[in-house]
Amino acid sequence: MANAGNEVAFKKETVSKLLTRSFKEDKTKVSSDAVILVAELLKVFVEEATRRAVKQADSEDCDTIDIEHFEKILPQLLLDF
Amino acid sequence: MDEDEAQKQRLKAAVHYTVGRLCQDIAADCEKQITKQTIAAIAETAFRQCDIFAKDLEAFASEKHCTLSIPSQYNYIQQKSEELALNNQELKEKRKKNAAKRKSKDMEAEEENELED
Repeated sequence: MANAGNEVAFKKETVSKLLTRSFKEDKTKVSSDAVILVAELLKVFVEEATRRAVKQADSEDCDTIDIEHFEKILPQLLLDF
Repeated sequence: MDEDEAQKQRLKAAVHYTVGRLCQDIAADCEKQITKQTIAAIAETAFRQCDIFAKDLEAFASEKHCTLSIPSQYNYIQQKSEELALNNQELKEKRKKNAAKRKSKDMEAEEENELED
């Protein structure tokens, strides 16, 4: 089951559209490789967020990851990224 | 504006879907439950983070003329630092010589003074 995480990924098309939306200049383009990397980066971000929230829940002896756990780890997560 | 907003919602939904699956997998892996609220929060954060990545990338890309030449810049800096190192060495040796000259001059002057005396 630990390998299940490897199959889930952000779709290239989604990431590409997300990036293009945020560009200030119309003429800025993204290469295919860059899109793949950003998709991977986002995936790592989500995994890191989740695992840190899990750890926080662990430290509070909770079986359920609540939003408070996520809120507690969020500041450091944003600084780290 | 509506079309833009509609696209934004579609993208958010797409991100939410993938984030949800990732979170569920990891939670299951760690033998924990995760609330829908938490998943939604993580998805929203990821969506906003993507915006930040995009802007950073764009800023970086506009500096392309600098970043592309990093290897040559590195070589240039190395070369310059070698020149500087050589320069420093030469200066040091010069100073030593001058110091030595001054010493011997002082000694000569002392000797002369002694002789005069």
